[in-house]
Amino acid sequence: MKQVLEGSHAVAEAVRLARVNVISAYPITPQTHIVERLSDFCADGRLDARFLRVESEHSALAALIGASSTGVRTFTATSSQGLALMHELLHWASGARLPIVMAEVNRALAPGWNIWTDQTDSLAQRDTGWMQLYCETGQEVLDTTLQAYWLAETVNLPVMVILDAFFLSHTYEPVDIPSQEQVNGFLPDYQPRFQLDTRNPCAFNQLAPPNVYMEMRHNIQQAMDQVLSRFGQMEDGFGVVFGRRYGEVEPLQCDDAQIILVTSGTITSTSRALQQQLRADGERVGLLKIKLFRPFPADAVRRILGGAQKVAVIDRNCSFGAGGIFAQEVRAALCNLSARPLVFSYIAGLGGRDVTLDVLKLIYRHTKDCEHCPDDSIWMGLHEVHHAT
Amino acid sequence: MQLNVPDRDYMHSGHVGCPGCGAAVAMKFVLRALGNKTIMVLPACCWSIIAGPYPQSTLQIPLIHSAFETGGAMASGVRAALDVKGDKETCVVTWAGDGGTFDIGFQALSGAVERNEDFIYFCYDNEAYMNTGIQRSSSTPYGAWTTTTPGRDWKRMRKKNIVEALVAHRIPYAATASIAYPEDLLRKVSKARSIKGSRFLHIFASCPTGWRIPSEISVKIARMAVQTNIFPLYEVENGRKYTINFMPKGYLVKEYFKLQGRFKHLSESDLDQIQAMVEEDWELLLRKAGVPLQG
Amino acid sequence: MAQDMTMKMIPLFIPRSHVSTAGNKTGSWRFLRPRYDEKTAPCSAACPAGEDIGRIAMLTAQGLFKEAWEAILKENPLPGVCGRVCFHPCEPACNRGEFDEAVAIHTLERFLADTAARYQLQADLERRSPRKQRVAVVGAGPSGLATAYFLTRLGYRCDVFEATPEAGGVLRWGIPSYRLPVAVLRREIEQMRRTGFEIRCNRRLSREFLQEAGATYDAVYLGCGHAKIPFLNIPGEDLEGVTDGLSFLQRVNRGDEPRLTGRVAIIGGGNTAVDVARTSLRLGAKPVLIYRRRRADMPAFPDEIQMALEEGVELLELRTVQRIDRAGEEYTLTLRQVPVVNCAAAGKACVQAVPQECERLAVSKVFRAIGLTAAESWFDPPPNENRVIRLNNSVLAYADGAPIIAYGGDVANPIKSVVHAVASAKEAAIALDITFQEGAEAIGERMKHCRVGGGSALSMEIHMQGPRCRRSDHVVAFDEINADYFELSPRIVQPRLLKEERIDSFAEIELKISANLAMREAERCFNCGLCNQCDNCRLFCPDLAVVKDADSGRHINYDYCKGCGICVVECPRNAMALEEENQTQMNTAEEGVHGRLT
Repeated sequence: MKQVLEGSHAVAEAVRLARVNVISAYPITPQTHIVERLSDFCADGRLDARFLRVESEHSALAALIGASSTGVRTFTATSSQGLALMHELLHWASGARLPIVMAEVNRALAPGWNIWTDQTDSLAQRDTGWMQLYCETGQEVLDTTLQAYWLAETVNLPVMVILDAFFLSHTYEPVDIPSQEQVNGFLPDYQPRFQLDTRNPCAFNQLAPPNVYMEMRHNIQQAMDQVLSRFGQMEDGFGVVFGRRYGEVEPLQCDDAQIILVTSGTITSTSRALQQQLRADGERVGLLKIKLFRPFPADAVRRILGGAQKVAVIDRNCSFGAGGIFAQEVRAALCNLSARPLVFSYIAGLGGRDVTLDVLKLIYRHTKDCEHCPDDSIWMGLHEVHHAT
Repeated sequence: MQLNVPDRDYMHSGHVGCPGCGAAVAMKFVLRALGNKTIMVLPACCWSIIAGPYPQSTLQIPLIHSAFETGGAMASGVRAALDVKGDKETCVVTWAGDGGTFDIGFQALSGAVERNEDFIYFCYDNEAYMNTGIQRSSSTPYGAWTTTTPGRDWKRMRKKNIVEALVAHRIPYAATASIAYPEDLLRKVSKARSIKGSRFLHIFASCPTGWRIPSEISVKIARMAVQTNIFPLYEVENGRKYTINFMPKGYLVKEYFKLQGRFKHLSESDLDQIQAMVEEDWELLLRKAGVPLQG
Repeated sequence: MAQDMTMKMIPLFIPRSHVSTAGNKTGSWRFLRPRYDEKTAPCSAACPAGEDIGRIAMLTAQGLFKEAWEAILKENPLPGVCGRVCFHPCEPACNRGEFDEAVAIHTLERFLADTAARYQLQADLERRSPRKQRVAVVGAGPSGLATAYFLTRLGYRCDVFEATPEAGGVLRWGIPSYRLPVAVLRREIEQMRRTGFEIRCNRRLSREFLQEAGATYDAVYLGCGHAKIPFLNIPGEDLEGVTDGLSFLQRVNRGDEPRLTGRVAIIGGGNTAVDVARTSLRLGAKPVLIYRRRRADMPAFPDEIQMALEEGVELLELRTVQRIDRAGEEYTLTLRQVPVVNCAAAGKACVQAVPQECERLAVSKVFRAIGLTAAESWFDPPPNENRVIRLNNSVLAYADGAPIIAYGGDVANPIKSVVHAVASAKEAAIALDITFQEGAEAIGERMKHCRVGGGSALSMEIHMQGPRCRRSDHVVAFDEINADYFELSPRIVQPRLLKEERIDSFAEIELKISANLAMREAERCFNCGLCNQCDNCRLFCPDLAVVKDADSGRHINYDYCKGCGICVVECPRNAMALEEENQTQMNTAEEGVHGRLT
């Protein structure tokens, strides 16, 4: 059933359809519409879940670690500072191998205070052992949230479903809300592989000395590795029920492209328009949307980008001292190829600044014209700064 | 003649608690009263080690180690999951040290209690960060040496009154207990188990290593803390009804202090000052309990 | 094909336990070693009969009255008697006295004996298999009877010879029934006799018996007591109407209750004097006790003096009788006051006669009741010689080709009391047993092991290798008790007849107490040095290294015990010890002395 929905509400619908048992969250703009809608669902009985209105994001995730360890399906949502506050427990959730799903609305980190979109918050958590799935549309948000449970429960790792602040979280789009039967057909009831159980009393998460810690970490890496193949399996199943598939990456006319733009999140949509225009102008340009960031789909990236001459990675994030984070990952994926494209790194749209068609055109033009590819990231559209004395 | 307490233990030998560990005694008592229909959340504390390294467990109940500051929150989640599963029988408890309760875990505890989460929070109080090597906490008493309050910089701040902080939440049940008074302790645990909502037990658990006392007086020192009114035994129901469980026999605090290396630097006048503080706190408690002041 | 591998469920390797910590043998950390170490209670060390009072009280508190009574009988066959007339030196030694008030041991002892009588309990006491030696016991007073009792239990055949028509000695004839009803005595004599010896009454023996006995007996025990009141050596003491107090008591105890009128004088300050005074009061007289020192110096038990005064007995202290004159039915005593000259700190007052200060006292009758002596000289032990062994409470004389002669009871005791008579009997019985089994030379060494708390009291249970053997002879002091485990609680008040009720009859003054009260009083006992299964050691052990055994005892599992010592400090009654670990012990797991109800 199609409805015009906010991106936040698409998340909430998916959580409802996923029959989540325990939700715990702490409000932060721009995540609030997700938890408000879920509160409504819990209040009016459309969702039979316990909603723990905890006193911080840290506690929100801690509560879910407790609930998930007790063998139920869980959900939380946060953004920016909230995610940063959760950092310690992000490790805890993955180390404990808990299939927790989180909606993370990309928002810039303070100071100064900034509530607008920026991916640095989620990308700063890339080493925490969580899968990261970046979304572009309301429909993708809903679908990805359902897919996240499938993946999480299959490999026992937590998942972040990531959406841009306002551009996606607060934007209304038509979204097809599947029926409960459809969802049940794709996502079975959660069958925990372990849980706190008085009939089988075990201690969890205890001291792991050097003789076992490394093997436990390797086990997490193995699970992450498996996600790349499981992703396709999951999408096969998803496609059968819903007739849609996204791919861990989505290449657009990349096969013959000389220059390929690499994007994630909502910038992708604008880039699609640019790519269509440029193709109409006869430019051999492709677009690669990266949806799955962790684990990083390096094989796919190599396969798709390996034949291009130049690649322009547009990052709405920055790892200070290193530059755009997607660009680093792309460069790393390509570095062992004997023939590889030049990889340009562009930083744009931090703190919610618009990345318009014009900005993207500039990026394309610069990539095309520039013979020498700089190592550093190129900051797009920087204003002149008047320093106070 | 035998104390009237349940006899079945849910703990194994072979744990790595220090000789004379009061926290080990506390756990043993609490589990006797709780029974095995219990799930325990264990934030970082001495017990994170005592409970055993992979693949061992000291306890015969399901146990989840948690991040330091998450005792209140993680238990909320476990409880929520059990509720969803329809398990009303299993009791969820948090077992935290004073650092994880008074300091870093206070927010999560306060949040959980404000929400009146249905669980029991046990704080075994050894009055400093003992697992990390005797650093001061907000539970460290006035006058104490720790490795972060060494030499002349002994702690000159009073111990936080954690029970009163919880009472301010109108918690359904808050009580102090001591490893030296097992009957009282076990009764309180059983009572707490029978109450719905948040319950808090503050258990005084001596630490021979950190307090610089011989291990054999570990229980005796805990008893003296009660006898001297340094750690009064009382319970508060619904944030209002105070009951004092032990009336003192007039021991002076210096009797308690002089047995412990952590206080050996204190002068007679320091001790007099501490005596006055203890009396002041005691009178405050008597007033709350509606007990007429003596003398 | 790669698909299959990558789709396989990867086994989870997570921090999750699957074994207990019991594999860690933390006992290797130990440098101190706790162990069960039962010790000696001060009361039992102070009891001349060495009764195991701490354990008796423990059993009583648990309502195990028969077992408690039997525990007394192991050491003393006369609990009903001693529970009434013993001067209970145990009570001043009681550690509880330093806490609030001493345990009413005396009252408990009587309660147990009375309870046994009420339910006609038969004691199950250990008895050794028969031995070939035979012993003759002369005198069926408390020491003679107890000697026969102990020797019979040790396997010897005994015959008791008694000059009077009934056994009991001073208990039968010398103690008024308001203190000791004859039925109580008869019951306990019967109880003793049932262990298997004969009492031949009306058999007054002569000195020649000592020579003749050799044909039948390997030893003769002489327990003939002090049954004669010596003369005062003053003018007028041979007058008719000036009577020996002991004969008077005997007469009354036979059932003759003469009416007395007016004032009667009793000369003396011992228990006999007080008994005579109180007896004469009950027969209608107004008794006056005349004693040459102060009241505090009187050898009679203070309680008895107190009750006598309450009942109306008059006491004239610091007076000696100079002469007695008769004028018709009236006797006049000339008394001389004796001021205190020098008062030693703990001893009796030193007095000196002052001839000037004379007074006269007119009475209708005079009783002599000063210190008693043996009726015949051969009853007394011989002077120290080569083949005489003088022990604390008895004397043994050896001669070639003749039976061993053992002297006990009043003739050998520094303090003349029933419980000392029992002590004497036990000492002689043990000495004879050692002599028969190992020879007289072994007495010193072997007897040392039977000493309760290393003192003079002996334990028959220890001698017979009972569980009491395992106790150390360390006598527990009050500061070794963990007093935190005890609440203040007042000592039971011994119920008594009112003064008015007492003086009208010879009814027993001290009344029975209920089982409830007895149990409550027994619970006051610290059980110094004894394990009463309080379970504190197990309760407080942080390492769960104290294990309860099937028979309700406990042992320490040294595999896990880290030697923290909490169990030792938290033992309320000092029944444990903490020692330095040594290497050989460290390798011995699952060992330990058990604290058990035995």
